[in-house]
Amino acid sequence: MNKKAYYGEYGGQFVSESLMNTLDEVDKAFEEAIRDPEFLKQYHYYLKQYVGRETPLYLAERLSEKYGTKIYLKREDLNHTGAHKINNVIGQILLAKRMGKKKIIAETGAGQHGVATATGAALFNMECTVYMGKEDVKRQALNVMRMEMLGAKVVSVESGSNTLKDATNEAIRTWAKTAEDTFYIIGSAIGPYPYPKMVKEFQAVISREAKKQHMEAEGKLPDVVMACVGGGSNSIGMFADFIDEPGVELIGVEAAGKGIDTEEHAASMAKGRPGVLHGTRSYLLQDEDGNIKLAHSISAGLDYPGVGPEHAYLHDTGRAKYVPITDSEAMDALMELTQTEGIIPAIESAHAVAYAFKKAKEMTPDQSMIICLSGRGDKDVNTISDYLAGKGYLN
Amino acid sequence: MNNRIEKRLEELKQKGEKAFITYTTAGLPNMEKTAMIIKAQESTDIIELGIPFSDPIADGPVIQQASYEAIKAGASIKKTFELMKRLREEGVEKPIVFMLYYNTISGFGIEKFVNECHVSGVDGLIVPDLPLEEQEALKEALKGDDRTILIELVSPVSKERIPKILSDARGFVYCVSSMGVTGQSADFHREVIDYLSTVKKESKIPVMMGFGIREAKDVEPMKNIIDGAIVGSHFIKIMKESDYDVNAIKNYTDTFKKELNS
Repeated sequence: MNKKAYYGEYGGQFVSESLMNTLDEVDKAFEEAIRDPEFLKQYHYYLKQYVGRETPLYLAERLSEKYGTKIYLKREDLNHTGAHKINNVIGQILLAKRMGKKKIIAETGAGQHGVATATGAALFNMECTVYMGKEDVKRQALNVMRMEMLGAKVVSVESGSNTLKDATNEAIRTWAKTAEDTFYIIGSAIGPYPYPKMVKEFQAVISREAKKQHMEAEGKLPDVVMACVGGGSNSIGMFADFIDEPGVELIGVEAAGKGIDTEEHAASMAKGRPGVLHGTRSYLLQDEDGNIKLAHSISAGLDYPGVGPEHAYLHDTGRAKYVPITDSEAMDALMELTQTEGIIPAIESAHAVAYAFKKAKEMTPDQSMIICLSGRGDKDVNTISDYLAGKGYLN
Repeated sequence: MNNRIEKRLEELKQKGEKAFITYTTAGLPNMEKTAMIIKAQESTDIIELGIPFSDPIADGPVIQQASYEAIKAGASIKKTFELMKRLREEGVEKPIVFMLYYNTISGFGIEKFVNECHVSGVDGLIVPDLPLEEQEALKEALKGDDRTILIELVSPVSKERIPKILSDARGFVYCVSSMGVTGQSADFHREVIDYLSTVKKESKIPVMMGFGIREAKDVEPMKNIIDGAIVGSHFIKIMKESDYDVNAIKNYTDTFKKELNS
């Protein structure tokens, strides 16, 4: 067992033998890169000049007043391409270039990571192929068009359930055949080691900034930090610099879909058990035969049957708490944030907002929390309008 | 030597014959037919029985589809163990290797799984998503018991990993010949001959070549190096095209084995 590949009993490298040397090469290149001042300079240059960092830590005044505690929003929705995904893409694509790779591949569910990857590929002039489940290609036609405009090839994956997990399978299969000249950019904090580590490193910029910004505003650390969790990339980035601050409560918000007591949810920590998928051991939604169950969430970005291995570890050790929020709770929070602060969040991020409102009730006016607003809701307008039509929310 | 695979391979060595191995997805189209398919293959030396998994990352489209159909038809690890027990009770002594993904094992419970393998007569395990570094828990449960052995895989890019992988390998070495997943065309990896020779030199046990083989002539160029050939995706195709006809299966396997040794 390769100990450094593990977070407690989670993580590892459960891939075919053909990828083992490749993973080792990626790990070595990554470790070298993040110690190389030139690489870091480049990474931070693009984050600043291209992505638009740093993102604001905004004190949501009206919400703070309403809920009687200070509510800060880390505005990842203001990044170029509309979400935190680009932070990691810039890091991994610079690494791919450094390793001399000419082509990049990625998986995508709703298309956010696909769009971010296609964007990075256009910027750095690399050939890009994005794997996307056939069902998602249908549901997210606009993002497919964006990726194609950016010059990426979108492969519609017809296998299994035709969604994100199947697109990820296909990306891994392709990578096993083409690793010599191809770099696989994983968008979430999942996958075989060193991917969870790399994604955390490249998303840690969220908490590095937020910690400093909160210090400047309040002169102390926040009491609570929270973020939504699908695979767990924005949350691990939001937690990263606070994990070693025991006074800061960390909360990850899972998608409870139609409720964790139904069959339609994506709450892998509330309802799953440990298993192996996509190269890593973590909590998974699976049936008694060990087959992976389909996840459900109104937000495509949380619609994944597993979770990053470090989250599983933080869950078991009690360092972070993971709570479920249903589709309708998230949609209510989305509308409230929109109408109170003039910010339309991604439905993913609205899950964290929904739990923040619950949590705020047990907090005092001199306490503060940071919510990671991982993305903006423009991409969700169709889903939101369908939902509201069904529920008659605006009537 | 109390393992059926090792026993069979030793017999072949004595006779100077090459081994022929096929892959069948358990429960495709149903467990009844799977039993027939296994029994029909007199010429096949070792049978790889694939336990269908929802997310088969090391398999190409043919076996993905086969797995999907088998799961939909109700196949599971439990039912495959039942099938194994029945076959052994009926006197089937053919060496049978389970090809399965690690989550099927860990979901079942590793200890319980190994025990069922012993009881039901599973001779070996091929776990494509369990590289050397992750094998500790399974090997601990297997305890070097002769009844069920772990088959190691090597790939053309394994290079300096080969000696490590082979150091305590048993049964045979499964050489992935074309890069990547099962069911590729016969367009073998450019350095395949060199690679197979390296493995053969390093290995104390028989070396089998798999992935992308359809006919015995596909392995003609490396016949002097390898000890046998494995056919997976193409075998599934043959079965599906003939609607699982026993004679078609018998003809194909008889012909392959004969040509492989001519």
